[in-house]
Amino acid sequence: MRNEIELEAIIEDYLNGKLTADEQKAFEQLRNNDPIVDHKVVAHKVFLESMKQYADVLLLKHQMDLAHEQLDVATISAQVKPHSSRIVRIWRNNKSAIAVAASFLILAMVMLYSIQSQTKQDGSYEELKGEVSRIKQSQNNLIRNFNANASKPHIAPARFGGSGFAISSNGYILTNYHVIKGADSVYIQNSKGASFKVKAFYTDPINDIAILKITDPSFTNLGSVPYSIKKGSITIGEAVYTLGYPKDDVVLGDGYVSSKTGLNGDTLAYQIAIPVNPGNSGGPLLDNNGNIVGVIKGKENKIDGAAFAVKPKYIMEALNSIPQDSLSRRVAYGKRSSLQGLKRTKQVEKMQDYVFMIKVY
Amino acid sequence: MSFKLSSSVPTDREVVLGILNNSEEALNKLYAGYYPMVLQFILNNNGDEDDAKDVYQEAIIVLYNKIKTGNFELSSKLKTYLYSVSRRIWLKKLSQQSRKTSNIADFEDVLAVDEDLEQHEQKDLQFDQMKVALEGLGEPCKTIIQDFYIHSLSMQEICEKFGYTNTDNAKTQKYKCLQRLKKLFFQA
Repeated sequence: MRNEIELEAIIEDYLNGKLTADEQKAFEQLRNNDPIVDHKVVAHKVFLESMKQYADVLLLKHQMDLAHEQLDVATISAQVKPHSSRIVRIWRNNKSAIAVAASFLILAMVMLYSIQSQTKQDGSYEELKGEVSRIKQSQNNLIRNFNANASKPHIAPARFGGSGFAISSNGYILTNYHVIKGADSVYIQNSKGASFKVKAFYTDPINDIAILKITDPSFTNLGSVPYSIKKGSITIGEAVYTLGYPKDDVVLGDGYVSSKTGLNGDTLAYQIAIPVNPGNSGGPLLDNNGNIVGVIKGKENKIDGAAFAVKPKYIMEALNSIPQDSLSRRVAYGKRSSLQGLKRTKQVEKMQDYVFMIKVY
Repeated sequence: MSFKLSSSVPTDREVVLGILNNSEEALNKLYAGYYPMVLQFILNNNGDEDDAKDVYQEAIIVLYNKIKTGNFELSSKLKTYLYSVSRRIWLKKLSQQSRKTSNIADFEDVLAVDEDLEQHEQKDLQFDQMKVALEGLGEPCKTIIQDFYIHSLSMQEICEKFGYTNTDNAKTQKYKCLQRLKKLFFQA
């Protein structure tokens, strides 16, 4: 019994490394020679390790219990417990998924918006009036005043502003309002080069229409206008052409109706695919039968071949709003045009005399 | 104690170093830092606050053992590790109690921690064996053994505490107790 206790004590000291080097050597000798002692050592080792582990865990649990007591469990659990509302629960459980979905949605919307805004044609709009900007005009005014003071003969610069066409035989000309807006004086010039002074007779800024009357004494009758104004709606794909004065000579432009609305969905106008340039503004737009289907009024300068024309309905409204007895042999509305059935070359030839360059000073 | 995880959470390095140095402060910080996370998980998955405490403490023991054995690498965040371990422990408990285990509501990423938990279960088994053995030992043996092995009292102190006339008597008593305990422990 005594020996057993001693042996146990030695084994424990041995395992805890408390023996001196000599004692340890002696004990290892004993252990090697006696399997029973060796077994005891192994068993005790396992036991001590388990005991140590047990002690460690107990201590740790004790410490954690202390730490736990410092927590306000009720408050925390009130914050994290399943919310009575399903929606809040879903939100808490899927925060990250919802975040991903939301950002994806936003991205998609941004992309959609950018695609849409690309197709919306919201680029700037360019009126096709020739080089008639207010600034240049006022500069010219200054020059003229200077010239007048210097009492030199005034030579008018050969400038063009836009195009226009006759709507009656006695000298009423239709053009765009923006062509003559703010002008001091307006002249028209026909295809033969003859100039006539005109004055603004009627203006409609909303539809961008102006009617000019030739006041020049040298003007004689034009003869009956060959074209008529088309009644009814225009159709997409219809072939159209225009005559105008983007340069000093009349120019033919050919195209087709590409959309039933104008810039940004403007219903007063419609879109045509036709090459037009500054100076074409106010020019007549005709179909192949020689009917006026619109007045060129501007183009989209970011998109190739997107020009806009005033609908014929508003041309008629303008015509109807001026005293009818002042127009002699006015342009017909909805009637058969005398140009119908003629080839394009013949039509242009006949029309040329009724299309004018508008010169603005 | 506010539920602001970010403000009260110690850095992972702090915790690992603290555990290696047996720092109680580090343990407190760790404990307070991630308790809300585990509580949230348990409360949202069929458990109550006591379940949360048990599961969380077990998870911390797993973490301690892993760090103490020296093979803990900061390959993942402590937060993720603790969450994964707690989750695994709780799912096992749920299935043992044959409570509903489908539709687990997760709040964090989950790691594969099966290997660590297997080791832990072995150790836990030993812990339970030791506990049962000690319970079966009866007084005064249980207290003597605990004082000597757990509270690290010397034989002299034990002798005085229990009023033995000399340390030899105390030693003999302890020896007898130890033999019985070992028997109980290895038999279990």
